[in-house]
Amino acid sequence: MNFELLFKRAKDKGLEDIQVHIEKTQDVNLHVFNGELDKHQIADTQRLNLKAIYRGKMGKMTTEAIDDANIDTWLDRLIDSAKVIESDDEVFIYEGDASYKDIPELSDSKLDDLSHEEKQALTFELERKVKALDDRVKISQAFYGEATKHVIIKNSKGLDLSKDVTSAVLGADCVVRSEDDSRSSFDFVQTNDPRDFDLDDIAKNVVERGVSLLGAKSLKSGKYNILLENRASATLLQGFLGMFNAESVQKGMSKLQGKIQEKIASNNITLIDDPFMLKSTKSGSFDDEGVATSYKKIIDQGTLTTYLYDMKTAKKDGVKSTGNAFSGAISPTNIYFEAGQSTFDDMVKTLENGLIITSVQGVHSGTNPISGDFSLQATGYKIKDGDIERPIALFTIAGNYLEWLNNVVDLGNDIKFTFSYFGSPTLRINDVAVSGE
Amino acid sequence: MIEKQTMERIINKALDSAADFAEVFVEKTFQSVIALQSSKVENAVNQEKVGIGIRVAKGHQSVYGYTNKTDETTLIELAENLSKSFVGTRVKDMITLPEVTNGKNHTIKKMPDAVDIKEKVSLVKTADQAARDYSDEIKQVNVSYMDNVQNVWIASSENIHVHDQRVRTRLGVHSVAKNETDMQSGFNGPGAHQGFEFYDTIDVKEEAAEASRIAVTMLHADECPSETMPVVIDNGFGGVIFHEACGHSLEATSVAKNASVFSGKKGEKIGSELVSAIDDGTIENAWGSQNFDDEGRPQQRRQLIKDGVLTSYMIDHLNGLRMNEASTGSGRRESYRFAPTSRMSNTYIENGKSTFDDIIKNTKYGLYAKKMGGGSVQPSTGDFNFAVMEGYMIRDGKIAEPVKGATLVGTGKDALKKIDMVGNNLKRAQGMCGSLSGSIPTDVGQPTIRISGITVGGRKGNA
Repeated sequence: MNFELLFKRAKDKGLEDIQVHIEKTQDVNLHVFNGELDKHQIADTQRLNLKAIYRGKMGKMTTEAIDDANIDTWLDRLIDSAKVIESDDEVFIYEGDASYKDIPELSDSKLDDLSHEEKQALTFELERKVKALDDRVKISQAFYGEATKHVIIKNSKGLDLSKDVTSAVLGADCVVRSEDDSRSSFDFVQTNDPRDFDLDDIAKNVVERGVSLLGAKSLKSGKYNILLENRASATLLQGFLGMFNAESVQKGMSKLQGKIQEKIASNNITLIDDPFMLKSTKSGSFDDEGVATSYKKIIDQGTLTTYLYDMKTAKKDGVKSTGNAFSGAISPTNIYFEAGQSTFDDMVKTLENGLIITSVQGVHSGTNPISGDFSLQATGYKIKDGDIERPIALFTIAGNYLEWLNNVVDLGNDIKFTFSYFGSPTLRINDVAVSGE
Repeated sequence: MIEKQTMERIINKALDSAADFAEVFVEKTFQSVIALQSSKVENAVNQEKVGIGIRVAKGHQSVYGYTNKTDETTLIELAENLSKSFVGTRVKDMITLPEVTNGKNHTIKKMPDAVDIKEKVSLVKTADQAARDYSDEIKQVNVSYMDNVQNVWIASSENIHVHDQRVRTRLGVHSVAKNETDMQSGFNGPGAHQGFEFYDTIDVKEEAAEASRIAVTMLHADECPSETMPVVIDNGFGGVIFHEACGHSLEATSVAKNASVFSGKKGEKIGSELVSAIDDGTIENAWGSQNFDDEGRPQQRRQLIKDGVLTSYMIDHLNGLRMNEASTGSGRRESYRFAPTSRMSNTYIENGKSTFDDIIKNTKYGLYAKKMGGGSVQPSTGDFNFAVMEGYMIRDGKIAEPVKGATLVGTGKDALKKIDMVGNNLKRAQGMCGSLSGSIPTDVGQPTIRISGITVGGRKGNA
């Protein structure tokens, strides 16, 4: 792409400043289903995002037809877009920060050490292992996905940034059946180093999770002490992320408004946003506005220290952007609760009587990110005298997320991340409202 | 966009191995979105998607590749690359495509690009004002306007060569009501496979006020009790429960892999005889309609369930081969970035005989779910969960106090059998459905129905 021409034509048309954001992605996806290569997908795509200031307003457009011949059309679209904007918010094209952290490990992927055939073979082998572990595995599937992303940001103020990130995921899911029940489960590893792929471990996790839930039934409604397992907790965090978003806060859509430097959670809660975490596709040294990213504790030992900001919201609050502007919105990079000391097994023993919640469903619909209220379908185990008594399903757990954060009695040392890089250790929470039979 | 001869060359290159199926999906989409916050236009973005997806298969095994590059050399290379997955000598003769057939069942009167952006802004402002005027307790309103023109050209070795233009528009109103103690929100989002004339067919102010009505009602609602009780689910978006709990389990995507609770159940009674259900992708100008599915076959009207008996699945081409059944024209995808699979279109439960009043009058105690929120389901088990956006208790055959925070939990298999009253007031509503082949527009729908017993989760604890 001819950036000089674009910048020059923009000036000619009366645009004050303009920024180019290009993302080029190459993907490979493999699915092995019941011993056959069921899906094999390859992709090579690119997307151009333009934003430009025209008479003090920000016009935006996106296209996949990247061709210098379209430059004038794009600029006209930007002007049309800017013309209807009424918001008085100050807008920015950023000249850049003094320095950006160098993270060579992100692009230094070991994935190329494996040939395509070897990756395919790994996927086949994982599927075989899942199937072989237990007779009750009736459907098994393994998947491998790899994405290489190249991001470029250039603007008329001289900013010129780029990054490469490569990451892969290897995982499996299965359906297990007994005479009268059927359960599904999955597990995966996300990394850029194939040495992290432990097939036996993934297979064992998938099958054990499914089989141990067979015959799960509902339970009596009431108040229970629970262990919210690491990935269930990470999923729940995802539903309440909006609370920490400066835009929601400024619009009065978050209960955390005016709570900076106040205690909002128990002392053992520290919530971290870490853009430098290795082996994650969410990592990088700059955000989509070109602002340098930073490691931060959003909640530090129970105290709220910051919201997540982009440039516009930061300006309104008189602070510096936290570098969390991604895809036109404010979002975290790798966000997680800091781990505690306890092992999962110890937590089960200490719980004595109560529930382990292994998964929650319907986070996009059963949570109210404004009030913090939620009511979610869950599955897990009933614990009696420190041991699993039976699997449980078809019940809901309900509460208020902020109340829960104030009620975390213990944290495990077992951090796990979801596909979208939300992480948590297992949390112990007391007196949770459970609705079943 | 791509010449017939070029399509033929790509398909023939793709069939230059043991592959027996090849398909080219060409897409050009233009979408414009306007977002209003605090009564001011905050964002006006337009997005252009251009890309091509090539699918090559042998039997039901397939490979898929996609790219934004539209030059023939790149496409031929991609086809050759994909084809190599099926080692062997050529099995298909050289393909000649028929002339392109254009879809023409959905009349569009005002193409979005011919409407001045000022008119769209004025629509959004009308909605914003109406939502705010509803009550002083409405403190925040977000309105979004979207129009989307998707042009697709699909050609495949199944003697298919079609062009379809899908024009859709939707208005979304999100209202937040607030007092000293609580904050609640309501949403309403009418849409259609139609141009800007859609807004002449609806009462924009009324639709916007509806979002505020829900928010204000819920602001004054008590917490919902937790227990198993009869639930009356109202018409329109209430159909999301059928969509999630049964619809997904009737898609070949899970049925063909024997991963659905309804696999192998065709011809069997799977629900109450009061239940008949349809998936109809041909309804004129409906949100979930298309002229052709995304594999180039004409959309159809499918009778999924008749008097409680499973009569048809929703089937795409490749899963059809796995099941030994013909495609029902149900192959859909969000864009060229997804290989198609079987998906719903406009799915609804058919009218029964009861009136709305009868249903309420005959319910001594239970929950009236007037507006449903979203939900999700595990196709292998049919376990579902739904949020109730607007709910009321029913006491002594009358609608009583509003309740908030309710979730309905159950399995589709059970719920279908427990439907014991079906109303005569069928209505459809618009939604976006996410699954393997992306996020696609679908209508859900039903008349008012009653489920005799379902687990209701709330925060109030046991009643």
